[in-house]
Amino acid sequence: MNTFPTRNIRLAYRRGAFKSVPEMLDYAAQGETGVSFYNAKGEIRSGLSWHDVRARAHVVARKLIGAGFAKGDRILITADTWPGFFDIFFGAQYAGLLPVPVSVPVGIGGKEAYLDQLRRQLTASGAVAAVGIDDLAGFLAEAAAEFPAVRLHGGMEVIDSLPEKQVDLRPLGPDDDCYIQFSSGSTRHPHGVRIVQRALMANLDAMTGPGGLNLSADDRTVSWLPLYHDMGLVGFLLAPLSSQCSIDYLTPRDFARRPMQWLNLISRNRATVAYSPSFGYDLATRRGANQVPADLDLSCWRHAGIGGDMVRADVLQRFAETFASKGFDPRIFIPSYGMAEVCLAITFGPDHGGVRTDTIDRTALANEQRARPASDPNDLLRARRFVLCGRVVPGHRLEVRDPSGKIVSDREVGRIFVSGPSIMPGYFNDPEASAEVLSADGWLDTGDLGYTLGDDIVVTGRAKDLIIVNGRNIWPQDIEWTIEARRIVKTDDCAAFSVDDGGGERVVVAVLARVAPDQKADLARDVAGAVREAIAVDCEVVLVPPTMGLPTTSSGKLSRARVRANYLAGRYAEDAAPSNPATA
Amino acid sequence: MLREATNSIVENDDMNDTLVSSPVERGSISRAEVMGEICHHLAPFQIGEKPIAGSTVITKDLAIDSLAVMDMVMEIEDRFDVSIPMNVVAEIYTVDELADTVLKLRARR
Repeated sequence: MNTFPTRNIRLAYRRGAFKSVPEMLDYAAQGETGVSFYNAKGEIRSGLSWHDVRARAHVVARKLIGAGFAKGDRILITADTWPGFFDIFFGAQYAGLLPVPVSVPVGIGGKEAYLDQLRRQLTASGAVAAVGIDDLAGFLAEAAAEFPAVRLHGGMEVIDSLPEKQVDLRPLGPDDDCYIQFSSGSTRHPHGVRIVQRALMANLDAMTGPGGLNLSADDRTVSWLPLYHDMGLVGFLLAPLSSQCSIDYLTPRDFARRPMQWLNLISRNRATVAYSPSFGYDLATRRGANQVPADLDLSCWRHAGIGGDMVRADVLQRFAETFASKGFDPRIFIPSYGMAEVCLAITFGPDHGGVRTDTIDRTALANEQRARPASDPNDLLRARRFVLCGRVVPGHRLEVRDPSGKIVSDREVGRIFVSGPSIMPGYFNDPEASAEVLSADGWLDTGDLGYTLGDDIVVTGRAKDLIIVNGRNIWPQDIEWTIEARRIVKTDDCAAFSVDDGGGERVVVAVLARVAPDQKADLARDVAGAVREAIAVDCEVVLVPPTMGLPTTSSGKLSRARVRANYLAGRYAEDAAPSNPATA
Repeated sequence: MLREATNSIVENDDMNDTLVSSPVERGSISRAEVMGEICHHLAPFQIGEKPIAGSTVITKDLAIDSLAVMDMVMEIEDRFDVSIPMNVVAEIYTVDELADTVLKLRARR
């Protein structure tokens, strides 16, 4: 099987300015470009030209319409990187249905947690169908069993076996929604972002235009990013499609297994655009450094984007050093900032700007919410380096505000707000959660903290307690509820938070130790085990004497911020029980 | 001690070995062989003196993080040239279950 060409011969290049996903696929389908799916060995498993994608989507759409699904119905789809995802996602677009992409299970022993997640996503989206890769048909059936409204579930054969009726297509139009994106919010109460066609088109145009990646007919993309994540779905499916680009895919699992294949594909196929959160660059550096093929040539790479997580200058610097001899130019790094509530992109670093950093005083940041330049940038105990994430995309506005709502000046840390045509109308079927983040005059509260530096935004952390580990958003409540649900500790007897000591975020769980001294080690192990099993993250467990208690807010709610402050001040040190190798 | 063992695994990742050493190509493999391989990969994560056995619950009884678990499963898959479907992985809890899965998949080849 051959790769698809980078440029179309039959079709004139058109960068965006479409009105809907069906319209952009209709256009791309007239050319020769397309998507290829590679395995961990770097071989093509299958490929679909955009023409094929559209033809197959039409068949699926007629089957779905013929089966009686109504316009606006939601169809849940496990977003593994395989042709079936394209069939369902685009089939739904032509059938007037809204796809709801969800993740696939990871890790051993994760079944129950995955089923719980599926059930919550079915509840939040009100989906009437749930389709996935064949291996997951059983899990989908189990999860759907409690949902009488789900009248079709299983692997691709449940779609294949539907009769294709001669019905008119019902393509989603500019005023319609496009899909539901789960990405923010607690997994216990997932918020499905309503991605609407018009907002998506605005964000795609901003992203691919001169204020973003400035794509051209010669661009080609390679991606291992999961398609249930906004950066994977919008950044590396819908954005390339809006520019008729060819895409070469690796699955996230195969990237984790052979990160070097990501760089190999870029080199072999002369790709120009590829993105990853910082940890992907880290993985490629650590695992790839000793297996760099002699003929690796990364000089074709034009935009090495970083997003989906705090951008880490040290990691990127190591990557650049490791691959400098292979034609990698550090100026092509393009730090970016975004979120699903804006479809994807909010800011981009300048073209060929590389990783620009600002090193500030840690104490002033923590105590005065001021980003004061560090007196000695090399003193990492007192200084902290942040990456400048560029300027807001054209047509949008960004403000940093203090708690009273006043716009603050440069170097003052506040909450980041965004407005513009890409902002979501709200979370699906959740007016309360929507009202918490959207103002009547169209501003979105990102929930992130940061400061401006001229036109640049610097993101310093999250206002909420959100924990991000390896690009994954983890809500402390989910960790605490897991421990409490297993009756390892009583309700309100534990607090989860993260600390970033410069080497990435790590999770700490403080637990009131209402046990005999000789049972303390067991308690710590049970807590860590429960968290690992249910949340798939490792944590340090800190045992707090019951006499000390966990601090609460004035309204009696657990104050994670104060627990964290106590921990950092060493107040729990005496009873700290190492429970994970990183702290042993 | 534990820290050193873990670090060395994370830093080297054994990925080179995986690429260089060829998988067990043909012929039958014994259960002991599979168990030995799994225990070899899990040894650095043993807690205290309690030996790793068939009934050891991998994510609970060992000081192993999720990334290392994933690496371990990949190593086992590469070594025995099998691919464990994600739904099957999600239902493996103990060392015994992992070993049985590998043997079952080998037998099907």
